[in-house]
Amino acid sequence: MTFDFSKIFPKSRLAKLVWVLTLLVSAALLLLSTVFKLDGKVHADWQQFLGRFHPLVVHLPIGLILLVPLLEIAGRFRQALREAAAFVLSLSVAACLAAVILGYLLAYGSGESGVRVTRHMWGGITLTLAVLLCALVRPFWASGTPRRVLRDAYPCLLTVSSLLLLWTAHQGGSLTHGDSYLTEYLPASLKHWPGIGLAQATYPPASDSFYAKHIHPVLDANCVSCHGGAKVKGGLRLDSYSFLMRGGHEGAVVIPSEPERSLLIQRIMLPADHKKFMPAEGKPPLKPEEILLIKTWIAQGASPTVTSLAGITVREEEKPLPLVGDYSGLMAEIEQIAKAEGVTIVPVSRNPADGLVLNTVNAPTNFGDAQLARFQQFAPFIVEVELGRTSVTDACFDTLAKFSHLRALHLEDTAVTGVGLQKLTQLSQLTYLNLSGTKVGEAAVASLGSLKQLRHLYLYNTPAHPESAAPAGPQSVERSKARQAS
Amino acid sequence: MKQHPLCTDPEHDTNVMDLPLPDGLKREWSELKTRRHFLGRTGKVLGWAALASLIGDKALTGVAHAENSVIPSRESLKLPHFAPKAKRAIYLFMSGGPPQMDLLDYKPNLAQLYDKDIPESVRGAQQLTGMTAGQARFPIAPSHWAFKQYGKSGAWVSDLLPFTAKMVDDLTIIKSTNTDAINHEPAIMLLNTGNMNAGKPCLGSWLSYGLGSMNDNLPTFMVLLSKTNPKENNQPVSSRLWSSGFLSSEYAGVGLRSAGDPVLYLSDPKGINREVRRKMLDAVNEINHQTYQELGDPETNSRISEYEMAYRMQASVPELTDMSKEPQSTWDLYGPDAREPGTFAYNCLLARRMAERGVRFTQIYKRGWDLHGDAVGILPVLCRETDRASYALVTDLKRRGLLDDTLVIWAGEFGRTVYSQGGLSPDNYGRDHHPRCYTTWMAGGGVRPGITFGETDEYSYNVVKDPVHVRDFNATLLHCLGIDHNKLTYKFQGLDQKLTGTTPASVVTGLLA
Repeated sequence: MTFDFSKIFPKSRLAKLVWVLTLLVSAALLLLSTVFKLDGKVHADWQQFLGRFHPLVVHLPIGLILLVPLLEIAGRFRQALREAAAFVLSLSVAACLAAVILGYLLAYGSGESGVRVTRHMWGGITLTLAVLLCALVRPFWASGTPRRVLRDAYPCLLTVSSLLLLWTAHQGGSLTHGDSYLTEYLPASLKHWPGIGLAQATYPPASDSFYAKHIHPVLDANCVSCHGGAKVKGGLRLDSYSFLMRGGHEGAVVIPSEPERSLLIQRIMLPADHKKFMPAEGKPPLKPEEILLIKTWIAQGASPTVTSLAGITVREEEKPLPLVGDYSGLMAEIEQIAKAEGVTIVPVSRNPADGLVLNTVNAPTNFGDAQLARFQQFAPFIVEVELGRTSVTDACFDTLAKFSHLRALHLEDTAVTGVGLQKLTQLSQLTYLNLSGTKVGEAAVASLGSLKQLRHLYLYNTPAHPESAAPAGPQSVERSKARQAS
Repeated sequence: MKQHPLCTDPEHDTNVMDLPLPDGLKREWSELKTRRHFLGRTGKVLGWAALASLIGDKALTGVAHAENSVIPSRESLKLPHFAPKAKRAIYLFMSGGPPQMDLLDYKPNLAQLYDKDIPESVRGAQQLTGMTAGQARFPIAPSHWAFKQYGKSGAWVSDLLPFTAKMVDDLTIIKSTNTDAINHEPAIMLLNTGNMNAGKPCLGSWLSYGLGSMNDNLPTFMVLLSKTNPKENNQPVSSRLWSSGFLSSEYAGVGLRSAGDPVLYLSDPKGINREVRRKMLDAVNEINHQTYQELGDPETNSRISEYEMAYRMQASVPELTDMSKEPQSTWDLYGPDAREPGTFAYNCLLARRMAERGVRFTQIYKRGWDLHGDAVGILPVLCRETDRASYALVTDLKRRGLLDDTLVIWAGEFGRTVYSQGGLSPDNYGRDHHPRCYTTWMAGGGVRPGITFGETDEYSYNVVKDPVHVRDFNATLLHCLGIDHNKLTYKFQGLDQKLTGTTPASVVTGLLA
């Protein structure tokens, strides 16, 4: 296929001028970032002043560009709309240019840099060029030129522009609202889909250091949206320990052992209406306890590895308890069996997902293994079983091993001797086990060694030597010291 | 033929209970009707007039407010509001007001201020009691006893409390508790019910109403009175303090006596066996049911359930109070006092046994802390009676695995003044009531062990950091038991009544585990 260039290049002077202007504008846009480099430094105030109109103006080209294909399609049925499309398209070009210029003033003026800023910038520039081209090739399409290449260029370019628009707009949205804004409230079931959960994977590797557990999360929640990989204001990144220590354009922000001289502390402790107060732009200030943590950490050397600080005890956030499934349909049956056996099964709280408690305090004295086995069918919904002072024996462990959500088990003052106790090691959520007043011996207790979650094991008044049991996982297991020979 | 209800004579045929009225109105009607029966049948006209005024314009529009439509039953409350840390609580009530600066609120600088007047700026324009208002001066009385640091937490404990000292790492000590009332009755009432005036339900009744029973054969809320010591200044306590107020009387505390039969008339009289008792109860219940049908007074039903509970307690209480199977280690822990029924130590042991048997709330009253004079003589006696037993209770619950879900509370109604009431000598002093700050502690399910919360000034007179008003104290207790204090309410006298009252209260998160 050959091109007849005389047909592409316009003949009238006005048209030639348009082409020349287009080329000049394109060149200017493409060279913009080379001439005025996004160096992360703050520039003139007027640039920021105008730049801050970018988020306002930017919605204009978005609306206009999206309107063009709609008008073109509707124009098949009403000619007037097609004429309007040409006008809207020219407006789009102007709006795009305005948005790009303001956007660049914003980034350049306020010293923003980073991957996402750059992406958004190139997206905007490319989009502007694409819309410009659209406007240039549209006449060929509208006049129905016989050359297919020229005729089809417009619909193709328009499609590309629309897609590019979506991508660029998303990049811009992520800049202002943060990466996870759109997916934050995504239904949990959809979060497992590949690609969606990836944002969380970049979180720094789990570590026991004080920095990883207490400092990084504060910075991550409050600072990284402007001082991270996506956006680097003032040349400062706070998304890793090495970046934090490297500082920004104004030098180091953390001076180990000298919190008062550390710029980080100075900025977050300024009065909230101070120009240099951080977090800037009306974002919520750090909480006093968060500031205290950072201050103490810096005062004690700002080490990346130290795991605890003198004078600071931070309470561990409790992991939310695993929820049980929906048992509402079974409740009538559960209550019927409970009534027949003289026990009560009550919800832990008004939230059904907290599970059920099996309470045998009202049960007849003969409540034993067979009666317990009747509740096996509801095992996944029962989180606590109280069998203290009932007639259960070692045979109960077979049943209890099926209670997959069991967190607390009371077997005090029963006839169990510990044979089969190791079957409970299947209960990965068991945190509390009371064997006081039973005949359970050391060997049986030792077999519980692999129960990682077990934190409270009570062996008061048993033959088991309190100190004999293998430590269950990293947690220290409380064991009753007092013991009585029976 | 069915007559129009307004055409019939209400005296004979129309039953208000059958009219299409909201249940709340019917309840109010039945209360009025009961009262009317008391006054005599001629009051019926008045009753109708009252009903009409109750209904007001609703009678014309037939619209009832949703809030009046049901009397909330315990089941409909759907409690706990969230997964509780503690399932039950044991409240060691130190009636009279223990002196915080002699026990747990260590003020080392007071020694050099002996017999100096407390600065006006500290005392401020505070109201005084009648006991000290006439005093010309308010001389500072430093504690007679030395303090030492204990445990990993390094809490300072007076030499008066050698056993408490051993368990400080299990305790949540609150030095900044404060209250509004300066006299015993209003202060105890405020702490127990959230209101200085009698008539509101107490903490135990709210728990009983909100959480219900775990053991069908024992009351949900038990009150144990400890024997009084005539040497001590014993302020009276009465059943007003464990009353259910406007809640149904089945939620009131059941008291166990400190001497003789724990529950009066619980044992069958001579010649009456359990079968005869059952038959008698059935007959009484039958009559009560008839009364209920006739009058519709909900208190009749409460009475029926109380008779039934008493019948079941005939079997359960002897088992509960039979200590013969307690191992020697128990007696070693609680000490010899625990052998004697009615002592504070005995009651602590009983409270542990009730916790094991699923009693939701036990309140043990120990009187005698009202140390207006001879503190040096009486305080050691009080501490001997309570220190070891409190320690034994916490330790016993802990070794048996019960402390994880039992909340133990040690508190009085207020504290005592740093200045001496009456004469101050190097060997003796007295202390007056002091509501502005006092020390309490908690242990077990839901609270953070091994901490001291709140601070007082150097005179132990004003709170300077993290105040815990008794309302916040109660809100925190309820929180440990899985209850949002703002949501456990009962509509009465036009208010959503609650334990923490109408003044805003908040859960003290610093105390929570």
